[in-house]
Amino acid sequence: MASSSLSSQRVLSAFPLLTPEEFECACRAFLDRIHVLGNLDGAEWSSVRFVQQATGPILKISRSIHNPHAPSYDNILSASVDTEEPQVETCEDDPEALIRESNSSNCLHIEHDVILSPTYQVPVLYFTLRQDSHPGPLGIDEVYQYLVPDQYRKELQNVGVMGGISFGYHPQFGTPAFFVHPCNTADAMKQIVGQQWVTPETYLIIWLGMVGNRLSLHLPYELFGTDVVQKLQGLG
Amino acid sequence: MEAQATLNSIQKAVWDGRLPLQIRLAPSESRIYDQTDPYLISYHRISYLPSLLPRLRAFFASSLIDPSSHAHDGWFSFEGVPLKWHLPTGLLYDLYAGADPASKGTVGSEDAGWDIDNQDSPLPWRLVVHFSDWPDEELVRLDAEGMVMNDAYINSVKEADFLRNGTAKGIMSLSKEDSSGLWKSVQDVDLLSFQRISNILLPPLNQPFRNIPIRLFLPLPPDSGCPSLKVVQSPVPPSIPPSSVAASQLNISRSSITPQTQTIGSALHSLLPHLFPSRRTPVLAKPVLHGAAVPMSAPVEELVRSSAYGDGWLYVVVRMMG
Repeated sequence: MASSSLSSQRVLSAFPLLTPEEFECACRAFLDRIHVLGNLDGAEWSSVRFVQQATGPILKISRSIHNPHAPSYDNILSASVDTEEPQVETCEDDPEALIRESNSSNCLHIEHDVILSPTYQVPVLYFTLRQDSHPGPLGIDEVYQYLVPDQYRKELQNVGVMGGISFGYHPQFGTPAFFVHPCNTADAMKQIVGQQWVTPETYLIIWLGMVGNRLSLHLPYELFGTDVVQKLQGLG
Repeated sequence: MEAQATLNSIQKAVWDGRLPLQIRLAPSESRIYDQTDPYLISYHRISYLPSLLPRLRAFFASSLIDPSSHAHDGWFSFEGVPLKWHLPTGLLYDLYAGADPASKGTVGSEDAGWDIDNQDSPLPWRLVVHFSDWPDEELVRLDAEGMVMNDAYINSVKEADFLRNGTAKGIMSLSKEDSSGLWKSVQDVDLLSFQRISNILLPPLNQPFRNIPIRLFLPLPPDSGCPSLKVVQSPVPPSIPPSSVAASQLNISRSSITPQTQTIGSALHSLLPHLFPSRRTPVLAKPVLHGAAVPMSAPVEELVRSSAYGDGWLYVVVRMMG
C-alpha cells in the first residue's frame, strides 16, 4: 500500500483527542466506505451524509426502525427484503399498532448528527427521535424504551444528574436534541485502542461502535467485508 | 492580593446586576385576553428565567383559561421568539432587546430613564409567559423537579472546567453536596457560597487556565432562514504562544520570547477576523458582556475570573456597530 494517498492513513496527532482536520478526514473516509458499499440494506440506515456548516462539519446518519409486525416500504433503501431481524422491537404493546397494522405510523425515525465537540475535542453524538404518528420529537423515556438496549440501560441511567444521555441544544442548529455525554470519551478511547496507532477513520469507527451500541445504532457489518476493503485499496 | 480584590469587586458588581422585567400572560391563555395585569420584577441578570415560574404561575392563576397547567409548563417569549431557558436572563436581554450597551463615558446607570408606559423603551424588558403550547421544536421541556435545568447547568459547568484544566476531574470529584450547592448558590444568587465552591474548581491566580471558556453569540439577519443565533466556540488560550506572535509580526527579531497576554480584542480577531480586523479598536462590531461594551484590551483570563456567568462561561454578544 505504498501508493496509498488516502489522507486517512495518517496517525492521529493528539490521540485520544481529534483535531478538526482529522475529524473531517475521518468523516470523508467513512463516507467513501459507505459509497463503495452502495446500499445499506439490513442496516436500518436510510442515509449517511456529510454536511459542511459554517461552524464545522457534521456527519449525519438517518435511520428508520420498523415495527416487525407492521412493515413499511415508504423509503427506497428499505424496499428490498430485510436480511436481518430488526434489532429493536418497537411499540409491541401499543394498542394503536393493532389498528394501524399496515401503515407506517409506528415507524421510528432517528436523526444522528456526529459533531466534533469544540470543548472536549472528541466526537459527540446528537440525535432526535420521532415517530410517524406523533407530533413533535419524542422524549427521554422513549429513548430509553426504544433505543437503549437492556444491558446498557442501568449503566447510562446512573451517570450524572439525569444519566449518560442529556437533552440539550444542538450546537449548530440551536434546536432541542439528545446527546451522549462526551466527557469520558477520551478515556474510553484510550482504553479501547491501547498502544496501537489508529487512523482518523479507525478512530471514528471505534467511537461510533462504542457510542452507537448504546443506542442500537449498529454499524453495517458489510462495511468491513473484504470486498469493501479491496475496493477502497483500489481507490487509493 | 490586590488583583484578587479587584476581581472580587468586579464579580460582585456582575452578580448585583439586575434588569427590570415586565411579564405578561399570553393573551390567548387569559380569561380576559390582554387585560391581565403584568408581573413586574427587578431580576438578577445572572439568573435563569424558569426560576420565576412558580411565582408567575401563582400570580396568573386566577386569569388562566386552563387551570390544569403546572409551573414547569411555563416558557417565555420576546416579540414572538421563544427564549432559551438555559441562557442567563442578562445574556438573553443583551442578545434580543436591541439596547445599546453601556460604555465608558456614558452617563447614568442602566436603569436610569426607563419608561414603563413607552413601548419603545427597551426597559423594562417586556416578556410574555406561556403555560401551554410548549414549542417542542425550539425548547427543551422542563420537569417538575427541576432536574432538566440542574443537568443543563452541571453539563455547562463541566465543559468550563474541562477547558480551564484540560480534564473534568475537578467537577467530577466535587462532593454531591458541593455540586448541588453550586447550582443552589446560582439559583439563590448567593455569591459567598458560590465563591467557596467555585474556588475548589478554579486554578489559583498564579496558575493560568489552559483555555478560556468563552462563547461568542452572533446575531444573524432575520431572513437567513436558520435560528436567529450563531454561536462560535474555539479553544482560546490565556496567552498567545510566542511562535504565532512572531509569525504575525513583521519584525521577528524584536518579538519577545515571553508569550503575549490574550485580550478580548486578540481573541475576537483570531476567531472572527472579518468582524474584528483590529485587535485594539472595534471597527465593525463590538463585544458586549453584562450589558456593557468590553474594552478590547481586557485580558480574557481576568475577564473570565471576574465576569463569568454562574456556570463559569464568558458569553460575549457581538454587536454590529453603526
